[in-house]
Amino acid sequence: MTEYKKTIGIEVHCELKTNTKMFSTSLNGYQTIANKNICAIDLGYPGTLPIVNKYAVELALKAAILLNCKINRTMHFDRKNYFYPDLPKGYQITQARTPIGVNGYVEIEIDGKTKKIGIHDIHIEEDTAKSIHKEDKSYLDFNRAGVPLIEIVTEPDMKSSSEAMAYLEKLKEILYYADISDCKMEEGSMRCDVNVSISKTEKLGVRTETKNIGSISSVGLAINEEAKRQEEVLENGGSIKEETRRYSELENKTILMRVKETGNDYRYFPEADIPYLTLTEEYIEKVKNDIPIMPNERRKIYKKHEISEINIEKIIQDKTISDYLLNFDDINLKIASNLLLGDIKAYLNKENKKLSDTKLTIEKFKTVVNKLDKGEIPNKVFKDILANLLETEKTFDEIVKDNNIETISDTKALLEIVNNILNNNEPSIIEYKNGHDRILKFLMGQIMKETKGSANPSLVNKILLEEISKR
Amino acid sequence: MSKYLSLSIKEINELLKTKKIKPIDLVNEAFEEIESNKDLNCFITLDKENAYNKARELENKEVDNILFGIPIAIKDNIITKHLKTTCASKMLENFVPIYDATVIEKINSKNMIIIGKTNMDEFAMGSTSQTSYFGPPTNPWNKNMIAGGSSGGSASCISARLVPFALGSDTGGSIRQPASYCGIVGMKPTYGRVSRYGLVAFASSLDQIGPMTTNVYNNALLLNAIVGFDEHDLTSVERKEEDFTRLIGEDIKGMKIAVPNFFLSDIISKEIKENVEKIIELLKENGATVDYVDIKYLDNAVNLYQIIAMGEASSNLARFDGIKFGYSYENPENLEDLYRKSRAIGFGKEVKRRIMVGSYLLSGENATTYYNKALSIRDDMRKSFKDTFQNYDLIIGPTTTSTAYNLGEGLDDPRQTFMDDILVIPVNMAGLPGLNIPIGFSKKHLPIGLHIIGDSFEEAKMYKLASFIEGKLNLELNPLKEVAK
Amino acid sequence: MDKLSKEEVLHVADLARIYVSDEEIENYKIELKQLLSDVEKIKDVKGYDDEILISPTDSFLTPREDVEKDTVEFNDIKKNIPNTFGNFVEVPVMINE
Repeated sequence: MTEYKKTIGIEVHCELKTNTKMFSTSLNGYQTIANKNICAIDLGYPGTLPIVNKYAVELALKAAILLNCKINRTMHFDRKNYFYPDLPKGYQITQARTPIGVNGYVEIEIDGKTKKIGIHDIHIEEDTAKSIHKEDKSYLDFNRAGVPLIEIVTEPDMKSSSEAMAYLEKLKEILYYADISDCKMEEGSMRCDVNVSISKTEKLGVRTETKNIGSISSVGLAINEEAKRQEEVLENGGSIKEETRRYSELENKTILMRVKETGNDYRYFPEADIPYLTLTEEYIEKVKNDIPIMPNERRKIYKKHEISEINIEKIIQDKTISDYLLNFDDINLKIASNLLLGDIKAYLNKENKKLSDTKLTIEKFKTVVNKLDKGEIPNKVFKDILANLLETEKTFDEIVKDNNIETISDTKALLEIVNNILNNNEPSIIEYKNGHDRILKFLMGQIMKETKGSANPSLVNKILLEEISKR
Repeated sequence: MSKYLSLSIKEINELLKTKKIKPIDLVNEAFEEIESNKDLNCFITLDKENAYNKARELENKEVDNILFGIPIAIKDNIITKHLKTTCASKMLENFVPIYDATVIEKINSKNMIIIGKTNMDEFAMGSTSQTSYFGPPTNPWNKNMIAGGSSGGSASCISARLVPFALGSDTGGSIRQPASYCGIVGMKPTYGRVSRYGLVAFASSLDQIGPMTTNVYNNALLLNAIVGFDEHDLTSVERKEEDFTRLIGEDIKGMKIAVPNFFLSDIISKEIKENVEKIIELLKENGATVDYVDIKYLDNAVNLYQIIAMGEASSNLARFDGIKFGYSYENPENLEDLYRKSRAIGFGKEVKRRIMVGSYLLSGENATTYYNKALSIRDDMRKSFKDTFQNYDLIIGPTTTSTAYNLGEGLDDPRQTFMDDILVIPVNMAGLPGLNIPIGFSKKHLPIGLHIIGDSFEEAKMYKLASFIEGKLNLELNPLKEVAK
Repeated sequence: MDKLSKEEVLHVADLARIYVSDEEIENYKIELKQLLSDVEKIKDVKGYDDEILISPTDSFLTPREDVEKDTVEFNDIKKNIPNTFGNFVEVPVMINE
């Protein structure tokens, strides 16, 4: 029996990280008291007109560039007409005829291979109001009405839930790193609709749309469950209808919302309130040049510095750390990343602080990493002065001095201490010479104890080996 | 009682400057005139309290411009903060806006005094002002007749000399056609000349606010006051500041005038044709050249207009849903019931008909078959106009095919209202400026208007020709004086 | 006389969200048909090209800066809202959610 093959297409809505709304000058921020960030335009008041937010266009353009789209240099907006209480004007301003970007792709890694997922188009539009339902009433909050969105529509190029999830991870990473969107699925700033169909032949099956899935892992589950459901229907002799479904995480299944009316009649037509918008070559170049180094490029840099795969992904997942590392090009990034992912991150989590809240200047961090790199300070010292490094304006040297931490680098003084320890541990030397390597660690520990951890560990190590060999 | 408002604007200005009269005298006179001409039904809302307050406040201010202290009437589809704006509809019967239209801000900055909001066709949909929820305004030349529309209240109150200045709006002739029926000067400026922010949208790509006055000079003055790029309206256009009165009084010798053959075809009444031909002779005698030309698609303009205007209107009026403002059906069974009943009861017959047709024209494949096709032919028509302006300064013709007619006529024919505007609609399609000036009277002594069309942003040139004709004809255009005779 | 069908009228009334009585349906059958046969004529018109004129202006869009400006207070708009609940706008429960 031949198996059913899945075909998956995804539509993602992303809220753009702007200060104000797409077509009005009220604030873009709806996590506040209801109907606070609103103006006459957001409510569709008679006589109001949309005014296009330049920065929103810039962010959408950035996204189109990063998704390798062909840019529509002359574009206009369209009206999508339908009645719903969360749509104040009775139409949504969107781009149907001339989306800002078309024919792009996103590269994903799947089973060690690179695969291109086609982007059909990316267009700019406005968000709707938020609604709460209680018994026989609904309550509207227009703070979200008019928030700038981009909608990114893929080709039906994905064949499995893991490809779909990889695509979403990748997309999220790109949009997040380019500062285009917060991409918080749990807060709704990134929303995901999935089209799934199954077929045993080349001819595509009838697809269903599962709307507003709450997380990337749920997308994977929803796809598999929906494909399973469709297979059962077909195997029982039924047929799939074009319909809109939703995914219940609780029950792990998709649930019918509505059968699609034959041809949703949105009566699209060009928005006459907004003239043609042209994007000049210079402008597109400028936006292109403003794009920061993207994750894939960063991964390459980290790899060159021999940072482990696990740590590379940990860094990428924490953009503040990754961005911080961009400040340095001539330090040991492996040590630097260990510090940031380890002690520093732990400290920040404990104190509930962000890296940018601290006083860890680039200069200070560079000094610390270099000292550690050359073995001039032991890790213990770093741990001891961590709080000082992060919380005070003092330089590294000042901190070391103020805390009476002296790193003993005086060879003569060290020599004396080492020989004292060796004299008191004659049997251990014999053991070591008989091949018990761990004795060295024990002796190191004794010496460090004696010096209260202030000795330069690489120097101690060197002297210790020399002195043992003399005996 | 003295009649200051019938003096010229320069004389009034002089009296104000020399403190011989105060703004409140003008306000008093306007309200008295309105009161004694109530049967014209020009106004939906009067704003006595604010008008008097403003007049008193102006007493202590320097008379800094020629429009200072002058009463003005505003069509009731232009948004006025804290002053009811009804669009002559039950839908907005109690609607109190929260902001001022850009033109209102400009009027206020000139210290003009807003007297009230004028009657009109509901949501500006109509050519007779009879679709008003508040009953039609009437024509001062014959009170059994229509004032035209949709800016009928503004045209009627100017014609009857109740106030010297008014604002109207023109989507498919709504300033020029009633101006013609009432014997006044009405200008629809170039699309983008005047901000539409605060004009309740009927058809976004056609709507334009414009001045309605008793004479050409006043008209140019009011246009001076309301033009300019506005950051609230992306379709408004940035232009160098200009004085629209600057060419008034200049010789018209050498001017090249075109008359489209369509404008003198059989659809025009004989009397009107004769009057226009007299003007053509007058212009020739005074050194202008007049040629007959063909402009493409003029005979399709009404159909283009129906598609574009009704399509856009169906979308623009979707916001009236009984939820955020406007009429709301009480105790609906459910959401659908709220939508359908609020809109069925809140909107009048003509508005509903246009919304229905517009929705149909944009549905499914129709958007391509009709709307996009109309936009494409419209582009061609605009090019044809532009080609004509390569060789000619201005285009002229009659404003209307007939003079004003009796109230109640044509109400049952959904097409009549569009045919009334057949000569003025092409101008909106092409985004050009169009002006009506009175050029004579019919046998029944109803005004006849000349339509002057200019190239984009050539309003000053239009005023030049209009004032020349106005001066030569020197018609008695005050209907009340005419009646007294 | 040529008329629209009842179904066609009801479909259009659905799109427009306007309640129509039986009597109105009868009128619309004729009136809508009249207007629609008018605009049908445009199908036969030949143009030069497919360029469309969205708004009759030669100017291009100048977008605005991303700066807050025109926020309004809920209290100022409350008087125009038919039904409110606290700071919310109230409607009969939305279906199709």
